Amino acid sequence: MSFAFTVGAELPAISQPSSLVTSVMYAGASTDYNPLHYDQAFAGQVSPTGAPIAHGMYSMGLVSRMLTAAAGGPEQVVDLQVRFSKPWPLGTTATFNGTVTEVADGIATVEVKGTAESGETILSGVGHVRV
Amino acid sequence: MALNQSKVGSSYPSYRYEVSREKIREYAIALGEADPRYLSDGDDCVAPPTFAASFTLTKGLMALLGDAELGAHPALVHGSQAFRWGARPVRPGDVLECTSRIASITVRGRNEFLTTVVDCRFADSGDTAVEAESVIVFLGSAPQDDAAQEGAA
Repeated sequence: MSFAFTVGAELPAISQPSSLVTSVMYAGASTDYNPLHYDQAFAGQVSPTGAPIAHGMYSMGLVSRMLTAAAGGPEQVVDLQVRFSKPWPLGTTATFNGTVTEVADGIATVEVKGTAESGETILSGVGHVRV
Repeated sequence: MALNQSKVGSSYPSYRYEVSREKIREYAIALGEADPRYLSDGDDCVAPPTFAASFTLTKGLMALLGDAELGAHPALVHGSQAFRWGARPVRPGDVLECTSRIASITVRGRNEFLTTVVDCRFADSGDTAVEAESVIVFLGSAPQDDAAQEGAA
């Protein structure tokens, strides 16, 4: 493990685009085939943005990727909880950040956040990893 | 139409999920994961933590949302999600025994918040693999004549 979990430390951030391709790949991989995430006509009827949006779980998966990489592997990850606050429109890039807020008894607490190109918070939450 | 409050506490028949190496690989690639163990053909292969989504959210929640007595409807969004993992990651060949239940139904304004918990254990040991807690927001279906009432959770 190369990342040092100390209070105030920022995890190496991830910036990732969403697109029709990433959405279809995530749908297939996760078996969540909700057409809201790739079908323009369907999304036009029901999407809060009027267009396809990324799976919430795609954004949570990227947060987990960031947290797990810093922690040194999936064995180290205790829990992760996030709230999906705004949609992530396809065709835009989101950035995922994490800040260590506490380290106690071998467990680090990390506050996580996902930010859309627009600057809006698409996701926020907290995870715990063994350090 | 509002969700049926009497379903709070209901558990659904458990289901099995067999973890496959190729499904782990597909999931890792979809997220751009770099850990070579996720893509390994060897004994070191493990799944990324949120691979749990692929056996709790669809297979687990669909049975529950398909319960006609619950009154689920398609105007929904994923409000929040939590995973609490067990002592080790899942690996190819693991068989998981998963049970879904309805933890609570609450009302906020015009919307209803359904909290579900899917408990997944390794079939051979009974140890916890992951517990997944989801909040699904049903838009606009809260009963308006007593919308001030917070649900029966």
